[in-house]
Amino acid sequence: MNKQPAAAVDGPLNGVRVLDLTHVWAGPLAVRFLADFGAEVVRVEPPTGRGPQQASYSPLGGWLGGAPGERPWDNNAMFVKLMRNRRGLCIDLKTDAGRQTFLKLVGQADVLVENFSAHTMQNLGLGFETLQAVNPGLIYLTMPGFGHSGPLAERVAFGPTVEAMSGLTDVFGYGVDEPRNTAMALMDPVSGVNAVAAVVAALQTRRRHGSGCKLEMTLHEGGVSYCGPWLLDQQLGVPAERWAARHPQMVPHGTYPVAGDDQWVVIACADDHQWQNLFRILAAENLAEHLQAEWGLAARRSHEAQIDAAIVKLVAGMPKVTVAERLQVAGVPAGAVATVPEMVADPQVQARGFFVAYERHATPMPGNPIKMSSMQPQQWRQCPGLGEHNAEVLEDWLGLSPEETQDLYTQGVLHNRPPA
Amino acid sequence: MKVLEIGHYAAGYAGRLAVRAGYDVVRIQPGAPLPAWASAASMQAYLHAGKRCVASADAALISRLAEQADMVICEAGAADAIRALGFEDWQQPCKVAVTPFGLTGPYQNRPATPATLLALGGYTQIMGDAERAPLSLPGHYLEFQSGALAFAAASAAHLAGDRSPIDIGMLEVVMALSQFTAVRWHCAGEVRQRHGSDFWSVAPSDLFRLQDGWVYINIVPNFWDAFVALLEEPALLIDERFQTNDLRMAHRDALREIIAQAFAVRTRAQVDARAEECRVPLGVVRSLEDVLHEPHLTERGFWEHVAVAGETLRSPGLPYQAAGVPRPELDAERPADEAAW
Repeated sequence: MNKQPAAAVDGPLNGVRVLDLTHVWAGPLAVRFLADFGAEVVRVEPPTGRGPQQASYSPLGGWLGGAPGERPWDNNAMFVKLMRNRRGLCIDLKTDAGRQTFLKLVGQADVLVENFSAHTMQNLGLGFETLQAVNPGLIYLTMPGFGHSGPLAERVAFGPTVEAMSGLTDVFGYGVDEPRNTAMALMDPVSGVNAVAAVVAALQTRRRHGSGCKLEMTLHEGGVSYCGPWLLDQQLGVPAERWAARHPQMVPHGTYPVAGDDQWVVIACADDHQWQNLFRILAAENLAEHLQAEWGLAARRSHEAQIDAAIVKLVAGMPKVTVAERLQVAGVPAGAVATVPEMVADPQVQARGFFVAYERHATPMPGNPIKMSSMQPQQWRQCPGLGEHNAEVLEDWLGLSPEETQDLYTQGVLHNRPPA
Repeated sequence: MKVLEIGHYAAGYAGRLAVRAGYDVVRIQPGAPLPAWASAASMQAYLHAGKRCVASADAALISRLAEQADMVICEAGAADAIRALGFEDWQQPCKVAVTPFGLTGPYQNRPATPATLLALGGYTQIMGDAERAPLSLPGHYLEFQSGALAFAAASAAHLAGDRSPIDIGMLEVVMALSQFTAVRWHCAGEVRQRHGSDFWSVAPSDLFRLQDGWVYINIVPNFWDAFVALLEEPALLIDERFQTNDLRMAHRDALREIIAQAFAVRTRAQVDARAEECRVPLGVVRSLEDVLHEPHLTERGFWEHVAVAGETLRSPGLPYQAAGVPRPELDAERPADEAAW
């Protein structure tokens, strides 16, 4: 960790070198946090890693700049969003020369992160034992769907399908016979965020004890861990319920219709004081006739329908931002159910400068919720092109000459565009 | 490593990670517990096993403990509440503040709950059925994610010897963890809508009823042929309506009906077995009780064991584990006095 930082933004992990072999969401999300922390990240991709030369369908997040462009493989907006602050190396690990070059890079790295299915690295001849032999201090984080062991290890995993297996479906939905899936691949950000914690904790351990390690972070166990409190309650005989928009320990707590089509506001009272604040507003609008300010949680629960009915009348016909503002100022938690353009335009979001336009076409990208003085979004670097830094990385990390790098291109080991 | 944890569920989750990293965690909980999604006993066992708890929330005591700590994770409901604890004056530790909106901005002292933050942050709009009220996400997702990031940030700062304050706003945590909603707006001008359990941009993807439960499928184009084999409906392969993902999306209602009929006569065990044979990514829905008895988790040594109300219960271990290192067996939280360190 005493190497001079190169091609990295400022941050607390300056000097830490990371090899990024991740794809889709959970893995790249984790590495983005490490890169934002100032780690020197090299993204290692195969020639087909960003899809074919000709795009056959529009990506989920659209194209950066609104069109595929001359290099569509570099313009998938959802991919670009995840790939800031790193350099790009495109290398074919299925060649002997590619594997040998990669192992030399491993020798220079502090951390390697991958989220392939269980046997991919082993099948490439790059399993942990091989990597550890090259670099005993390597921190190796693998993020398979179900892990490298156990009866489900060979199963194909996507975030939404793993969510169904985590227990979350017991508590998410409209009611007893109306389960739902979030359809947001929730397991991916759970794993991604916990993976950041795992790597940084491992760096701390290595500083104290000197040794590397292999860490396994699975989508499945991330999701199950998130359900931990309910799993404990299940064993205590406390049944799980689907509360829809309600809450077991807050009344009122719900999503209420306001003016306009599909317009809503969330209102919640976390304690008696907030209820009393809401009561005053209801009373001022003559909507509190059958309600009482001194109701505690139990009484509010037994009168929940009446309270909700009063709130519905209060907010009906009002714009959601007006409702939320009035309640917030009065000390009642309230949030307009925002679409993305509304979210982006929110005064708090604007004031905090959360979306940062560092990418091509001045595209605003989600920022980092961690604000540290050593981390400066104005330094952020754009997503690298496929293989954009092949020569630079190999010279920086391995001292390869331009001729040696060109030789690797000639052998078909290095690439900077997908195969035709 | 000494970690002072001040707060509720975000700080609690950060402390949970810290305990399992081998750190000495002392916890202070200012005020009454916030509303939770599970019983107090379960929240206590899940979050606080292995910690020590100081009962007093006196500001002077908190500052004395903070100045002895290596890291402080400080969670409160508003920016001024963080300041009132003395956060800005602590010189010794690496310190993180976790609040609903952050320490700056016009909302810094406004009240919030996780549900109101999820609404503002764009999650709620896309959860639930199209023609119904949106759903709120149950559980402590936002607090736990914020806590994990707080732990990571404090640990990174400690590695660098950086003692400048770290500010995490939970609203920004929500927005940072969106898959493609924001970029789709900025790049394609499209506003994502909610469609129940249907992922919508991939067809088929939805929740289907089985004879004895439910199954969730998310069939990206690469797996279409294998999925047809799983269903044993070969006619789907030559049906012109379903030849590509775009066509499957255009005819999703008809496709959903065919799949629903195929699944309705199958059991969970049958579908699970076929998924394995055909290597199709799908999830037969597990209840919480199912999860507790999942052979995969037991075989992987995933569970910790905690004492709750005189019983020994299974509690999830960390989502990550170092190879060859067994899960810790942690004691219940112990009281600590003012001389904790």
